Amino acid sequence: MKKIGIVLKYELGNYFGSKSYIISTVLICLLCVGIMFAPRVINSFKDSDSDTNKTEDSKDEYYLVYDPEGLADMDVISTYLEGAAVKEASGIDEIKSQLEEENSDALAGFVINSTNSFDYYIYNKSMTDTASMMFSEYMKVLVKMDYCNTHNLDVEEFFGVVDSNIDINENILGKDSTQNYWYCYILVILVFMIIIMYGVSIATGVANEKSNRSIEIMVTTTSSVELLFGKVFAGTIAAFFQIGLVAASLLGTYQINKEYWGEGISMFLDIPSNVLIAFAVFGLGGFLIYAFLYGALGALVSKIEDLNKSAGTAQMLVMIVYFVVLMQLTNIDGVVIKVCSFLPISSYSAMFARVAMGHVEMWEIVVSAIILYLSVIGMGIVGGKIFRNSTLRYGNPIKLTNALRDLKKK
Amino acid sequence: MKLELTEIKKSFDNKEILHGVSFNVESGRALGLLGRNGAGKTTTIRIIMDVFHADSGEVLLDGKPFKIECDQIGYLPEERGLYPKRTIREQMIYLARLRGLSKKKAADNTEKWLKRLEVIEYIDRKLDTLSKGNQQKVQLAATLVADPDIVILDEPFSGLDPVNSQILKDVIRELIENGKIVIFSSHQMSYVEEFCEDIVIINHGEVVLSGNLDDIKAEYGKGRRVISATNYDIDELEKLLKSNLSDDIKVVGKNKHYIIVELQGEADQWHVLEELRKLNIDIKNFGMYEPSLNDIFVSRVGEEEEEVEKSANEDAAPDKKPVKKLFAGRKDGDK
Repeated sequence: MKKIGIVLKYELGNYFGSKSYIISTVLICLLCVGIMFAPRVINSFKDSDSDTNKTEDSKDEYYLVYDPEGLADMDVISTYLEGAAVKEASGIDEIKSQLEEENSDALAGFVINSTNSFDYYIYNKSMTDTASMMFSEYMKVLVKMDYCNTHNLDVEEFFGVVDSNIDINENILGKDSTQNYWYCYILVILVFMIIIMYGVSIATGVANEKSNRSIEIMVTTTSSVELLFGKVFAGTIAAFFQIGLVAASLLGTYQINKEYWGEGISMFLDIPSNVLIAFAVFGLGGFLIYAFLYGALGALVSKIEDLNKSAGTAQMLVMIVYFVVLMQLTNIDGVVIKVCSFLPISSYSAMFARVAMGHVEMWEIVVSAIILYLSVIGMGIVGGKIFRNSTLRYGNPIKLTNALRDLKKK
Repeated sequence: MKLELTEIKKSFDNKEILHGVSFNVESGRALGLLGRNGAGKTTTIRIIMDVFHADSGEVLLDGKPFKIECDQIGYLPEERGLYPKRTIREQMIYLARLRGLSKKKAADNTEKWLKRLEVIEYIDRKLDTLSKGNQQKVQLAATLVADPDIVILDEPFSGLDPVNSQILKDVIRELIENGKIVIFSSHQMSYVEEFCEDIVIINHGEVVLSGNLDDIKAEYGKGRRVISATNYDIDELEKLLKSNLSDDIKVVGKNKHYIIVELQGEADQWHVLEELRKLNIDIKNFGMYEPSLNDIFVSRVGEEEEEVEKSANEDAAPDKKPVKKLFAGRKDGDK
């Protein structure tokens, strides 16, 4: 055990002394800080811009309305089409010509055919265009008013009944999937990325040792299992340290800029503590399983160039788990995700998703965690043996199936 | 201390590489492990180092099974390698700590061995910034950093210039004087001859010769004499001896300085001297033959090759391939 600590400390030096590790950590943290400050910065520009331009802009831009039957009230329309003036047009041709004019301030045009029909004209429709929707809201009111007039109904009384507000008191006794879905989605992606990124870095470290021939010295100095455990633990600490820094810079600057972000982002960041604990426990276990697998796969190659071939097996496995769990988020209490939540290769992702969104008993969590961590130890020992057997086998990459078959022979 | 290998056998892919290798070496003595490429030297060393497990046989230290984790052993593998991007201090302390030394002792020993091998000025440099020779010396310092009782050096002189070779020679002599067990594998016979009291020659996975080097030399020189003359050159002298003294001596070798002969039957050196005088040979040298280790190696391994060739030819059908092809599969070196 003492030797695991020595290997771990030395390997951590490889990570923390690596320029690429330091630079990538700093850059990602700066990027997070930048993103979190972005709304504040944009807002400050908007404020100064709006002081000078807001009045002019709103005066310049306008909507055109052609109402041949005289059904509409332009003043009321203005209250529905916010942010621009409303002008009455003399015909469809005027609307078209003004919209087609270069540098025109006309935003869109409406032709009212009847109380329940209108034509909408726009030059280039943007993704965020809502003018027709806003105008149709006005038209609905027009229909109702027309109905009141033809049936001699009191308009205010009628609107009071039709548009009465219903108070909803929602009492969720279990979990709110609409609220939990997004952060769960983000965490599934996050754990997938962590495994892929750091798994490959652990495999590279092992392959490097074989490539620079230091492996023969190492396996004659300490046991391969201790070596692999030390390397994997170092990779894990380096990974979680980097992620911790990124998360701290993200959440820290989010707190500073919370008021500028509004409600939109809170569904991603306001994660309940029980989900975070499940994510930490299962995410760590899953990471370790794959880290040992990546370490063993790194020992199967002699050259770094061959690593992709070898690591493909693990990548494929992680990808399958990722897609299965993502697809099952909408069927969180289904059989597939329940099975996945007990398999050590997928429970890292499936179990915390169930904890976040589905119905799960405590005993299920405990059993799954025990299976996961026993598998971590098993994978560490098997990985160490593969690592040991592959130590002095140079040349073409060794297939994982052959390496496992060789273990049986010993 | 006595390190003992008994009947070690090892196969790779169902092909037996070692066929029962046995030898022993004691404290304060150096053993030269010799053999051609692919003979099985490195496999034998890797079995001692527990890199490979023997199929049968035992490695014993003072009669008990040898456990690498319990005893201090320094190993310089044929495939050199440390961490190119870490400083020499970091990696030497790391290796020393893994071999059980305390932090302080590891740091002290690192400096001690780097000083001894005259590379202390590079202690805080990264390994890949050093020349090949200096990297080799750092590798040796790393081998010795934990003051091991058993030192195994696989081709330690390869890549060293004469000055660095001298430093290494001095270090090896000190190790032997300090009572360490030194196992020394090399193709450079002159170095083995300088340090080793005992030798083991392995050929095709078998020990073909082992024992005390002086005894082996005496045995190989027994009944053999060297002769040279002032009035004949070597070739003329060889012809003369073959045509006139074939009953008394047999020419078994020659070099540019003398002819090596073996006394035949009842003939003794005085009789041969008398016969040489009768042939009017003006003797320049006449004395005991002391074979070099190189001569012994070539002779012993050569004999072995001839025997293998002979037995293969006897068994061979006309369409069988020549014997030399039998060894083509061993070209990839020791496993």
